[in-house]
Amino acid sequence: MSAKDMAHHIANYRKIFVYLLIGTALTVTASYMEFNVQNSIAGAVFVGLTIAAIKGYLVAANFMHLNSEKKIIHWILLLTVFFLGLLLFIPLLWDLNLMSHY
Amino acid sequence: MEIPYNVQVREDTGVYNSKLGIWLFLASEVMLFGGLFSAYILLRTGAPVWPPIGEHGSIMHLLKETIPHATFNTVVLIASSVTMVMAWVSLKTKDLGKFRIYLGTTLICALVFLIVKYFEYSHKIHEGFVPSHDTYMALYFTLTGLHGLHIIGGMIVLGYFFGPGIKMWDNEPERFTNRIEIVGLYWHFVDLVWIFLFPILYLLN
Repeated sequence: MSAKDMAHHIANYRKIFVYLLIGTALTVTASYMEFNVQNSIAGAVFVGLTIAAIKGYLVAANFMHLNSEKKIIHWILLLTVFFLGLLLFIPLLWDLNLMSHY
Repeated sequence: MEIPYNVQVREDTGVYNSKLGIWLFLASEVMLFGGLFSAYILLRTGAPVWPPIGEHGSIMHLLKETIPHATFNTVVLIASSVTMVMAWVSLKTKDLGKFRIYLGTTLICALVFLIVKYFEYSHKIHEGFVPSHDTYMALYFTLTGLHGLHIIGGMIVLGYFFGPGIKMWDNEPERFTNRIEIVGLYWHFVDLVWIFLFPILYLLN
């Protein structure tokens, strides 16, 4: 890796650090805001988790170098994300099942 | 016998072996935390009030008090991720002095995180909010406790590379650089998990 490449990497890491700090500040701010969704905190949950997902993407893509990683790593993660989605969806199936009984 | 492909890239995978290994390990870690996140969703959607009200009332007032500490800890962990990746960059530029500074800073950040967590735990337990108090507290201690164990595990490995493990740099610098990349991937994952734990446990209640 050339010195120029390294300088570019370092500048990028600094930029991502600032973005993550801004994201953290936004998450905390959003938790105090009223989103007025049927008297629930669904709006705040949506905003909070969206910001967390963006922050997670920034860490994975830049610090973990996923944006320049090999195909095999992407495939492993794609499979993992699929099963994670399934795992997180199970509680919703439970809810739907309960609703069908009423 | 020499272990193959710890520096050289394998032709079939396109990566060196330990990188493939750490990503498979991280995939299993995603499922481990994913199972607990799934339990969180199930218990939260099923609860009439969140966080539930137990013997000592609701945790809400204590949670609001601890938001600044948790925010501070989030910043500390993000900073540790930056110093971790900078430690790897230092090795790439063959600057061992800077590597020691960055890795040492990462270890200090991890220690600060655990100290803040200790005070947070002590305060909650002192007020009677133990894991058996309600389902929120059970999830809180399980998720943050498991995450804390990952921090301790990471610190042991980082401490090894800061101390005796650094000798490898003299004879096999590329292999040592790869080792730091691998432990870095684990460390960033621990940071990533916290990025999700912070809003769901402290903010969105």
